[in-house]
Amino acid sequence: MVVGARRVTRLLDAVQLGMVVLVLVAPVAWMVLSAFKPRTEVAALPPRLVFTPTLENFAELFQRTDFLENTVNSLIVAGGSTALGLLLAFPAAFAMSWHRMTWPATATLFARMAPGTLFLLPWLMMFTALGLVGSHLALILTHAVITLPVAIWVLLPYFDALPREIIESAEIDGCRQHQTLLRVALPMVAPGVVVAAILCFVFSWNYFLFALVLSGFDSKTAIVASFNFIGEGVTNWGALMAAATVIALPPLILTLIIQRRLVGGLSAGAVKG
Amino acid sequence: MVAPALLFAAAMIVMPFGWAIWLSLQESVIGGEARFVGLDNYRRLVADGEFWNGFRLTLTLWLLSLALQLVAGTWLGLLLARLHAARGLIRTVLISPFMLPPVVIGMMAIVILDPGLGVANWLLARIGLGPLLFLADPETVILTVALVDTWQWTPFVALIVLGGYLSLPRDVFEAAEIDGAGTVQRFLRITLPLLAPTLVTAAVLRSVDLLRFFDVIYITTQGGPGHASTTLNILAYRRGFEFFEFGYAAALMVTLSAIVFGSVLAFARIRRAVAW
Repeated sequence: MVVGARRVTRLLDAVQLGMVVLVLVAPVAWMVLSAFKPRTEVAALPPRLVFTPTLENFAELFQRTDFLENTVNSLIVAGGSTALGLLLAFPAAFAMSWHRMTWPATATLFARMAPGTLFLLPWLMMFTALGLVGSHLALILTHAVITLPVAIWVLLPYFDALPREIIESAEIDGCRQHQTLLRVALPMVAPGVVVAAILCFVFSWNYFLFALVLSGFDSKTAIVASFNFIGEGVTNWGALMAAATVIALPPLILTLIIQRRLVGGLSAGAVKG
Repeated sequence: MVAPALLFAAAMIVMPFGWAIWLSLQESVIGGEARFVGLDNYRRLVADGEFWNGFRLTLTLWLLSLALQLVAGTWLGLLLARLHAARGLIRTVLISPFMLPPVVIGMMAIVILDPGLGVANWLLARIGLGPLLFLADPETVILTVALVDTWQWTPFVALIVLGGYLSLPRDVFEAAEIDGAGTVQRFLRITLPLLAPTLVTAAVLRSVDLLRFFDVIYITTQGGPGHASTTLNILAYRRGFEFFEFGYAAALMVTLSAIVFGSVLAFARIRRAVAW
């Protein structure tokens, strides 16, 4: 009797989880399906689930707009700000962990909390004065404000887990500080660097607001270009969903690689508070 | 070794923050000479109906989304714990929504929730409901945005809840079961109080994003229809970058920042109060 009740509960749980999965997957599946539908069937109701997939939406997207250039811009900005964020965060996180400093980590939270619009106004004036509005550099610098805190927070626990003796003995053996950092610490925290790099890249790739204001014709990111498609009243939903599919791919693939650590990090964060 | 990062932060975060506060004390519009006006921008803000409209919308969106996500996230987190399901393919499905670019979320919302051609209204019609205008109706736009955000972020809350739940001492639950506590009683008297600190953590993380909500609203409605979704961050953006009223926009942004920091401090107090 009890065993039967448990089985029923378990079945009910599984049904609930199935519904959750359906609700989470359906919109994304709809986006991808629409991207591959022939133009005449994209907005057809009742929806056609069986159709001959076509690449015409992608062809139109890349041939008739600058989406390829926009995607390259996104790669430059996300790659550049990831590199800059890691370059700044790596030694900083090492020193913070070594000297058990907590205030810089708390200070970076500040940047995470303030609305982006707040920084954008002075930045616009600053970059206008420097003649950098519309350049890749302005976007890399501003996106590094997003990536730097992420990199520090991801790297800190990895440095905390390093045995102090190893670093100390490296210094006794005459390693200079940067040698210790590169030859001893880096190989040991390499998995952390990979996780940090992936998260930085995804967050920078996804970021909308800064590029909305600071990018120019030659530096427009794929994210902002997609937004402009909506604004230009693009009624071709197929091409719109093709663009959405293209910009959704890098984050989805990259987070797939680190999903185990990502969920582990979320859980640990919840426990530590 | 912290120096390069600190220099960067000083130039890109601290200095602009100070500059924004300074701007908020000036009357500064594009083309005009900037002039120090003290707290005039803040006085104007308090008397501005659009500010209070934005304030009300920001609070409504925040409370609505937070409540939905905490309730659904707790339910889903405990469900995942019972089924040991946060692995493999299911884990991928759970992570994907909050790793997607907000622009993609907005584009999906526009296509799926289109009042005339969207599949959402077609599905509602199958069960005899609708049609709804979703983002195009001033009455439902905030609720629609809240639901879209809940779709995106409930898995995030659920994974935090799951992590918190798995770290709880097992014996308390066993003792309660032996003492004959029912399912509801166990949830209300044991699980919920023990999970409270975890839930507050999730609430802080979500609140910081919700109070400064920008992306999905700007992408789908730009604050409309009318001003029905012009939250404080949207209002500040439009004043600054569409009307170029830099001084007044800065005052709005500083005020919004104060609201966000205030909420984080308030949650820190709540966190201490529910600690065990």
